[in-house]
Amino acid sequence: MKGTEDKARKLIGDRGNHFLKRMEGETGANISACFQCFRCTNACPISHYMDIKPHQVIRYIQLGWREELLQSATIWVCLSCEMCTTYCPNEVQVAETINHLRNLAAHSSVAPREKQLALFHQTFLEALHHFGRVNEFWLMGALNLKPGVLKEKIRTGALAEEMALGLLLLRKGKLKLMPHRCRAMAEIRKLYRQQRGEIG
Amino acid sequence: MKLAFYPGCSLEGMANDYARSITAVFRDLDIELVEIKDWSCCGATAAHSLNELMAVTLPARNLAEAEKMGLDIVAPCANCFNRLRFSQIMIQKKIIDVPWEVTAKSTVHEMTRFLAGPEMLAKISARVRKPLKGLKVVCYYGCQMVRPPRITGFTDYENPRTMDRIVAAVGAEALDWSYKTTCCGASIGIGRRDIQESLTMRLLDKARQTGAEAVVVSCPLCQANLDMFRRNKTGANIPVFYFTELMRIAFEPGRACRRWFRMHITDPVPLLSKKELLR
Repeated sequence: MKGTEDKARKLIGDRGNHFLKRMEGETGANISACFQCFRCTNACPISHYMDIKPHQVIRYIQLGWREELLQSATIWVCLSCEMCTTYCPNEVQVAETINHLRNLAAHSSVAPREKQLALFHQTFLEALHHFGRVNEFWLMGALNLKPGVLKEKIRTGALAEEMALGLLLLRKGKLKLMPHRCRAMAEIRKLYRQQRGEIG
Repeated sequence: MKLAFYPGCSLEGMANDYARSITAVFRDLDIELVEIKDWSCCGATAAHSLNELMAVTLPARNLAEAEKMGLDIVAPCANCFNRLRFSQIMIQKKIIDVPWEVTAKSTVHEMTRFLAGPEMLAKISARVRKPLKGLKVVCYYGCQMVRPPRITGFTDYENPRTMDRIVAAVGAEALDWSYKTTCCGASIGIGRRDIQESLTMRLLDKARQTGAEAVVVSCPLCQANLDMFRRNKTGANIPVFYFTELMRIAFEPGRACRRWFRMHITDPVPLLSKKELLR
């Protein structure tokens, strides 16, 4: 991280442990109990791909470095496989904490570092809103129609691979083309409206 | 015996073979599965990633429907099971209110654990017509089924044995290996193929080193990830079975199984014919 030293001095001075208290309150995780034993990072199957390692995430929260965390790739590549939570000796709920940071990032103005993954989650919830159940074929189709996705896939050559895979799956009978429409859609859409803060 | 069945979205599409084998196996075991009326998606990873409230309320709808039926729930998909349990615990502890009438008292069974109880195992062994002699497999459990233990209720989360017991009951040999609960990458392949491939490749390499001829799974997403992985065009891949498919082969050899195997990317028929398990 560039210029973290300056920032650290400033952030700790300005905000104290406000961010730590907020995270502890919202997740119920015992973040202050972390003594940096690295067990979470050692257990993590993909810590190699993370810019901020799991034990650092906890430390950053203790220091109040919110912006660094929300801009990190870590919060998007985390698989929620719960290895870190399971092996933490102090029962700091690391995976749940990272998941909550992902929630915060999704509801903030910070652009997600892993755009495709963030878009995928969003498209998933939209598909759920449309049909009540999620259909793989429609999900991938809708994802490709999101701005920038198709262009990126053509650039990296992933589109050709995906088309070939799609055809293979279709031939194998693994794709259901027409999604099932849940009859209780009214209930689910009402739920979505309530979550968005509109009165159902 | 009667159970409310929550199939989950995958079983309608990619894992249709799993759905069919479950139906067949439970019919063979005389357990009635009643599909939850008008069930909806549990929200999976997307819901808890973007909106923690939805992660509780979406599964709660299905819990409420099952409660109306007055039955215990069984979920075959690892992630669905995890989300249903999570939602149930949050409701029981009264942490989050949901807009449906639900007490969350009914039990949510994980399918392999349900079938690996001593009574069910005896029933399975009694039903076997053709033991799968000489078939060496490794059982792969994945993350969501066993972790975190406070949600799933698994006490042996480091070395789960439920599927090993079922596979042994139908006569195959379940080998010990150390990657039982290592993550397969889940849906991260959508945005980061490199991460997913490295994780999946490690699992398949280890399975081959252990001497397994096939991998046995219970999660639709794990199956898809392991089955679709291609190292290169010539590399031999090992078949990935759902545990219910193996059960069905042992129960009714040579009946209707082939149709499910056509849905697999890595064709398991050569292996099964070699072991003379299909007649």
